[in-house]
Amino acid sequence: MTSVEPEKQPAIQMPSSVKSPITYTPQDIKIIKKVLNGYVGFANLPKQWHRKSVRRGFTFNIMAIGESGLGKATLINTLFNREIVNHRDDEETVEEDTEDKEGGVAVKIRSTKAEIEEDGVKLKVSVITAPGFGESINNTDYWKPIVDEINSRFDSYLEAECKINRSTIVDDRIHAFLYFIEPTGHSLRALDIAMMKLVHEKVNLIPIIAKSDTLTDDEIVEFKQRILADIAHQGIKIFTPEAPGDDDEETVSNTQSIIDTFPFAVVGSTKEVQTPDGRTVRGRQYPWGVIEVDNEAHNDFVKLRQLLIRNFLEELKEHTANVLYENYRTEKLKKMGIEQDSTVFREFDPLAKQQEERALHEAKLAKMEAEMKSVFQQKVSEKEKKLQRSEADLFARHKEMKDKLTKQIKILEEKKVQLEKQRSLPQEPMVQPAQQKTRKGFLR
Amino acid sequence: MPEPVGITSLPDQRYKIVSKEGATFTIMVAGESGLGKTTFINTLFQTSLKPHQDPTERHNKFQSAQETVEIGIVRAILEEKNFKIRLNIIDTPGFGNNVNNNDSWTPIIDFIDDQHESYMKQERQPLRTNKKDLRVHACLYFIRPTGHSLKPLDIEIMQRLSTRVNLIPVIAKADTLSPAELDTFKTRIREIIEAQDINIYTPPLELDDPASAEHAKQLIESMPFAIIGAEEEIEISPGKFSRGRKYPWGVVEVENDEHCDFKKLRSLLLRTNMLDLVLSTNEIHFENFRSTKLGADEEENEDELKEELTNEKGEVVKKPSITKKPRRLHNPKFKEEEDQLKKFFTEQVKAEEQRFRQWETNIINERNRLNQDLEEMQLKLKNLEEQIKKLQLAKR
Repeated sequence: MTSVEPEKQPAIQMPSSVKSPITYTPQDIKIIKKVLNGYVGFANLPKQWHRKSVRRGFTFNIMAIGESGLGKATLINTLFNREIVNHRDDEETVEEDTEDKEGGVAVKIRSTKAEIEEDGVKLKVSVITAPGFGESINNTDYWKPIVDEINSRFDSYLEAECKINRSTIVDDRIHAFLYFIEPTGHSLRALDIAMMKLVHEKVNLIPIIAKSDTLTDDEIVEFKQRILADIAHQGIKIFTPEAPGDDDEETVSNTQSIIDTFPFAVVGSTKEVQTPDGRTVRGRQYPWGVIEVDNEAHNDFVKLRQLLIRNFLEELKEHTANVLYENYRTEKLKKMGIEQDSTVFREFDPLAKQQEERALHEAKLAKMEAEMKSVFQQKVSEKEKKLQRSEADLFARHKEMKDKLTKQIKILEEKKVQLEKQRSLPQEPMVQPAQQKTRKGFLR
Repeated sequence: MPEPVGITSLPDQRYKIVSKEGATFTIMVAGESGLGKTTFINTLFQTSLKPHQDPTERHNKFQSAQETVEIGIVRAILEEKNFKIRLNIIDTPGFGNNVNNNDSWTPIIDFIDDQHESYMKQERQPLRTNKKDLRVHACLYFIRPTGHSLKPLDIEIMQRLSTRVNLIPVIAKADTLSPAELDTFKTRIREIIEAQDINIYTPPLELDDPASAEHAKQLIESMPFAIIGAEEEIEISPGKFSRGRKYPWGVVEVENDEHCDFKKLRSLLLRTNMLDLVLSTNEIHFENFRSTKLGADEEENEDELKEELTNEKGEVVKKPSITKKPRRLHNPKFKEEEDQLKKFFTEQVKAEEQRFRQWETNIINERNRLNQDLEEMQLKLKNLEEQIKKLQLAKR
């Protein structure tokens, strides 16, 4: 018999070129460092920024906090040389404001805006004040609207930065926080310390001694020392500009002298007065003399203006955006349960990426292969079973038929043998055929 | 005379901050190989940043004859006049070298998208001060100086690039074209760029500043820039050296506006428009990518349950959902391997089918043989019957 024996499952072997994975060892990131002698031109970038910044304009949000009567409005107006904050507004608010349940005066947040232009440079300044601060007998809760205001400005920036369309993002964050200290000549009060402690990590805190014309030079020196000691003792951070060594000497010494003047003892005045020697200056006239706002010998207004506007306005903004806001945001997101995924900060490495993709690809390929192999083997085995069955059927049927035939042949052969035997015996008359005939006819 | 507030110092403050901080600048060079991409980069920065790829090396790279487009990154910190830039050069060697270049741009496009996506992911992290930024600020696309027209491949790739990056097409090795030929070639390329809606980078025209507007206009009119790269200094006249290429018929000077547009391109890339390239990448291309991506994610998540969290003030804030999509893999080699696997199975199937057909034939043959066997037996049976019949008849 030439029956076909079903072969074993064909072993599936992949072509070798497909299987061998290419392995890379991730390399350290190489960085070429060079100082160029010739002029290539990228050093022009700061100049491009200079131009661009003029085109785009500047913004500055300043918060001025302190008890009323310390000359906040006057100082702000003196700084920007125009009436930004209205005195009457400030006072009226205090008077008109609805008294809260405990009989205190509620602190309200006020914001006024102004646009200043000098020689084509534009600055949009926003001044945020809190009339009513420190007015109450019990001041414990009076810091809250102020802290809330700072937080909500951070929050709205955070929200805007998460939006799908953020082309209209506006920076309303507080870039500088002027805290007005009453010129008591003693030291910081508990309220001052409490307030400063609550905001010093959220804003660029700049404490100033208001109305310093009520203190003599010696008193100021002592008062400043005591304030600084308090600030240091309480761990309060105040904004301190950096004076990197690579700057020119003049800048470094100027920055240092600003720092040495902390906390600024200032006098504000938008009024012009005549000095005894005939000059017209911004200042305050007393029977005993004229105090000049812009005179460094009289008060620290010039230094304050340098810090706030002329030298460090952009630095104040940078620090707000890169340090203060970032810290706030990190805290906030962590509180919201958003976990840090540090894997996204990897240095892009094309080789590693290729390797990663190769691994993914191999996995995909292996899966594909396994799937195809399983389908293939299933189909093959189905077909094999079918063929084996039909083969078996064939043999079985054949055997059955053969057996049947063999049996019949055997019967007939026996019959034949019998007949032949009978033939050799004497003949007897046959009756049967006749009987058969009648039976046949009867049946029909 | 009122005392000035002093805000005129603000641009200077910005200048100082930028000078101190330095900058990050990423340039991508794309185009067929052999067009002088490496030379151009080294010429632009007047220093050897990128080693030239050894042509003999090209053969023993992964056995395959079909070269894949591999992204190469050269990182450098260059300092000029105390100003530092972190420079990233993204190279795409081997591009367009294959016989079949279908999809050969996908690794380039993927690279650009990947960088945007990576930046987006980094920006979302709670702590994000050390972001790695490889977003491409300018993509130089090198056009072969055929003098005829753009190839369909060039058009396909440029279309894809122009929606993602600041695309700057350049005519490579322009010293092979005469000024008249170059003019015609430029005009033709500009026409195609316009007709195919390819959005190439153009410097902004600041009309309120006539000098800058005039400069920008000149740059725009010279596009696409015809360039020549040369790293060697040639003595053009006694004692005067200039980077250029020396031919028997003369010296082509790289920094000669009469000879090529190298200076204009350098101005666009570095001296006048570098900031605009950086800002437009951040404010236009990155924002486009981000809003499209977020828009798509949002749609996808619309039906899903949104996880809500409340902050300390009791406001409901949406937790950004982290959806991981399977990475798409575009390496043409991978596709090839998949095809090979499929082919392998198809062959296996064919072999098995052949085996089954043979088996079936064998079964049929066997059946025939057995049937014959049975027939023989039947015949025998018949014979016996006949014999018996005869015997019975004879008996009567």
